[in-house]
Amino acid sequence: MTAAPTAHPAGLLVYAVVSADQALPHVSGVGDGPLSSVGHGGVAAVVGPAPAEGSTGPADLRAYHEVVDALAASGPVAPVRFGYVLTDEQQVVTDVLAPRAEELGDLLAALAGRTELKVRARYIEEAVLAEVVRSDPEIRTLRERTRDVPEEVSWSDRVRLGELVAHAVEAKRRDEAADLWDLVAPHVVEMRETPGTGLDHLLAVALLVDDDRVSVLEEALEAYAEAAHERVRVRLTGPLPPYDFVGGA
Amino acid sequence: MTVQTTSQRSGGGYLSRPAPSGLADVIEIILDKGLVIDAYVRVSLVGIELLTIDARIVIASVDTYLRFAEATNRLDLGTAEGKDLPGVLDDLREGGARKKTKGALAGVKDALTPGSSKDEDEDDEDDDSGRSRTRRSSSRSSSK
Repeated sequence: MTAAPTAHPAGLLVYAVVSADQALPHVSGVGDGPLSSVGHGGVAAVVGPAPAEGSTGPADLRAYHEVVDALAASGPVAPVRFGYVLTDEQQVVTDVLAPRAEELGDLLAALAGRTELKVRARYIEEAVLAEVVRSDPEIRTLRERTRDVPEEVSWSDRVRLGELVAHAVEAKRRDEAADLWDLVAPHVVEMRETPGTGLDHLLAVALLVDDDRVSVLEEALEAYAEAAHERVRVRLTGPLPPYDFVGGA
Repeated sequence: MTVQTTSQRSGGGYLSRPAPSGLADVIEIILDKGLVIDAYVRVSLVGIELLTIDARIVIASVDTYLRFAEATNRLDLGTAEGKDLPGVLDDLREGGARKKTKGALAGVKDALTPGSSKDEDEDDEDDDSGRSRTRRSSSRSSSK
């Protein structure tokens, strides 16, 4: 009963690390709080009042993203994972910036002139299932056998059918994801596969791209999306702050 | 004589270019991403962590197979076959490869398991309790 969660804003929420000379964007942060920056050794942490413990929700995530996104518009930015709260400016310096100022400076230099994009490719489920059914006699047979029969009496056949379909789609996915990966790779600095789920999942990747290569990448993906449009949907999101390319620092 | 054919729209339009706006988009973009600071307080997000955990779980189980079977059975091949589906040759090619892939779903699952970051988060929060020195408990907290 004693340790009531800090009932009001306590401490500083850290949004991102930027170059010390970068101006703050004209947006407010989480909970409409004002942004400020704490500099040290050529880099600066962008901070703002922390939200009250236990009240953090979707709006705060959005606000955080908007701040980081606005920062990315005017220079390299290393987003700090959402939710870190430090006691005060002094602690930001001693525990975040001072121990790794050089490392952070190098990271920002490596991110300069680059941006993150995300590609997600999904199968059109009916199209890819139809391919699977057509190409495998056993799947075809099991499908016919279970189709108009109640689940209770065809249970084991259904499990077998689902297993075969899952494996067939996965084999297809593996090949085609590799092809798509190869198509994208020449245009990017770095790429990371991100988890995907669902029968229709083909590939989800985060890409770090030189600003001047973005349009080439777009063209390559557009050509792919057009060629594959009857069976694959491709989505390209971004430019985004490089959330996926700072984790290792 | 202009080569402005009808089908050659600039930008094509097959590639979808949405602006990330929905909550799911934002979560996908930012959650568990970004620089990690050692062992400091992290505010906990109400309702959001659970939602993403659910989305990440794929179980190579009977239930999954039954869902796949159902999707296959729902398929109206009458229509689907009528379409000029490309990749029939691909299918033939892959027909051979398929037999070599065992436990294919395990691959999917592996790809998903880097969700061990969940554990990190929990560690962080454990550290929190010891660290919440932001406010010194003034004298005695007499309320009970």
